[in-house]
Amino acid sequence: MTRSIYLNVAIVIASVTLSSVHAQTAPGQPVGGGRIQLEKTVPVIAEGKWTGKRLSDGQPDVEGHWSNTIANHNNWTDPQGGVPGDPDPRTIPKTPRETRAPSRVSDPADGQVPFQPWARAWQQEFLANFHNPTRPEYVEPLARCAPAGVPKSFIWHGYEIRQYPNYVLFLFGSGTRIIHLDGKLHLPANIKLWNADSRGHWEGNTLVVDVTNNNGKALFGRTGEFASENVHITERFIFDNNGERYNYVAKFDDPTVYTRTWTATIPAKRWSEKNPPDNGWHYEAAVANAPGQPLLHEHYERICVENNGPFGQTAVTPAKK
Amino acid sequence: MKLLNKTFLVAGVLIATIGAPTQAAEKIPRLNGKPDFSGIWQTTSAADYDLEPHSGRKDAPPSAGVVEGNVIPYLPEALEQKQKNFAARETDDPRLKCWTLGTPRGIYYPEPFQIFQRPRDITVVFEFGHSVRTIHTNGTEHPLVKDNEFFLGDSRGHWEGDTLVVDVTDFNEETWLDRAGNYHSGQLHVVERWKYLDANTIEYQATLEDPTVFSRPWTLTVPLYRHREKNFQLIENYCFTLDYDQYYPYPERIKPGK
Repeated sequence: MTRSIYLNVAIVIASVTLSSVHAQTAPGQPVGGGRIQLEKTVPVIAEGKWTGKRLSDGQPDVEGHWSNTIANHNNWTDPQGGVPGDPDPRTIPKTPRETRAPSRVSDPADGQVPFQPWARAWQQEFLANFHNPTRPEYVEPLARCAPAGVPKSFIWHGYEIRQYPNYVLFLFGSGTRIIHLDGKLHLPANIKLWNADSRGHWEGNTLVVDVTNNNGKALFGRTGEFASENVHITERFIFDNNGERYNYVAKFDDPTVYTRTWTATIPAKRWSEKNPPDNGWHYEAAVANAPGQPLLHEHYERICVENNGPFGQTAVTPAKK
Repeated sequence: MKLLNKTFLVAGVLIATIGAPTQAAEKIPRLNGKPDFSGIWQTTSAADYDLEPHSGRKDAPPSAGVVEGNVIPYLPEALEQKQKNFAARETDDPRLKCWTLGTPRGIYYPEPFQIFQRPRDITVVFEFGHSVRTIHTNGTEHPLVKDNEFFLGDSRGHWEGDTLVVDVTDFNEETWLDRAGNYHSGQLHVVERWKYLDANTIEYQATLEDPTVFSRPWTLTVPLYRHREKNFQLIENYCFTLDYDQYYPYPERIKPGK
C-alpha cells in the first residue's frame, strides 16, 4: 500500500471521528476520546522572553511535530460544529454553541469574519453548494490536493517544524512553507503563491512572520471563508517556554474582501516520542528502524495523491475540453 | 641548466595540480566536520531531456548523455516499454501532470532545489511541486515494513570521508527518469554519491538497479551548481493546481463591481 496522503480517505476518517465524538460527549465534559477534537478552550500564552532551549544560531528551539488542539477545517468559526448542511445529520452536534470551542476569529468579538456584503454572499453560496458541488468553483481546493495555504495548513493534520540558520521550515501534509529570517525583501508583488511569501524574525518567544504574495485561492475551511490576492497577514507564533504549546495569532488585512482588520487564533500542541507514533491525524509518525538506539519517531514523505477526486467523491465537474 | 629549469617547472606544475583538490576540499563549507550542502542547487546538464546520448530534437537539445557507457542496459521487454514511452512522451511524461519527479530525476530536473542540513538529516525541497525529501543521516535504516511505496523513495545516508552516500528504496511506479521515457519499476534501488568538487559545485552520481527493468546496475553523473544570485530564493511551483486555479478564490461573475 502507499503511505502517501489520500485526502478522500482522511476526510472520511475525520467525519466518522467527529460523529462518534459528538454522540459520546455529554454537555460540560471535555471533548475527549476523539482523535481530532482534543480540547474546547484556547490557553493563554503571553508574549515575552524565551527561557527554553535554543539552537546553535540563537533561535528558540521549537523543532518537532505540532498540531492544533481544537478541530479540523470543517468549520472556520464554529470549529467543533460540523459543516452546516451536512446531509449526514450525525455530524452536526446538538450541543449548545457555548459548550463547543470558540470561533477561530478572536477579533472581532462576534467571532465572524468581517466580510463585505458581496464576499459574505459568495462564502454563503460556496457553503450552500459544498456538499453537492455542481460547478468547479464549489469544489474545496484542498480536496484537489491544492496546498492548504495560510492559515488552513495549521488545522489540517499535524505538521513538522525544522529550523536552520536564517530559516524556519514548515512541512505540512499539504504544502511546504519556507520562512526567511535573513531580512531580504518580499518577492515582486505580481508573483502570487498558494503558501504566499514569508519573512520572519524572532521577538523573544514569538516568531513574527510577514506574509504577502498570497494567491488567495486556499479557503480557510469547508465553510468557504476566504481572502483575496491582496491580503496582508501578520502571523505571531507565540511559544510557551515549556516547549509543549504555542498559539498562532494572525492579523488579516484585506480591503478587497473585509470591512476591517480581524484576527485568527489557533492553539497548537507538541507531539513527540511520548505519544503513540500514529494516531491517524495529529501525529502520523512511524517508529524509525534504529537498532540499538533509543525510541525514535520519523515521518514518511508527505505527498498528496494529486487530483484524486473532489470531496466525498460526489462532485461532477465539467469535463476538460 | 635549461633542462633543469624545465624539470623544476614541470615538477612545480605537478605539485600545483596535485595540491589543488586538497586546497578545494579545505575550503568547502562544513557542519559538524561533515561537508555542508546547504544552499540552492541546479544542474545545467541536459539530463532531464534524455539521459542517453542523442542528437537535437524539436523537444530536446543535443547531448552526449550522462550515463556511464552511454546506454541504459534495459531487459528486452523493458526496452519495448521504454520505446512506447518515448513515442508517447508528449502526453505520458508524469512531469506534464506536475507529479512529484522522483529520485534521482528531481535532482537533475532543470529547476532549483534547496538543501537544508542538520547533523541528523538533510532536507531537500524541490521548487517543482515544493515536494520534500528527507535523507536521514542519523544511523537509522530503511523501515522494516516492506509495503511503503514513495514517489521519492526512502533515503538513508552515511558519510564515506567527504562523500555523502545515500541508499534509496521503497519506490512507487509513478515516476519516469527523464522526458525521453526512461523508466523504472517499484523494485528500483538507487545509491547516490554526493561530493563537493569545489565550494560551489557538487558532483552527483546515482547508480540504479532494478531487476525487473535493467539487466545490470548502471550509473549516471551530473554536476550541480550553487545559485549565487543575490537574494535568490525558491518560488513554490505547485503546477498541478494550474488546471483549476482559475476557479478560486471566487469565479469571475462574483468579482466586486460586476
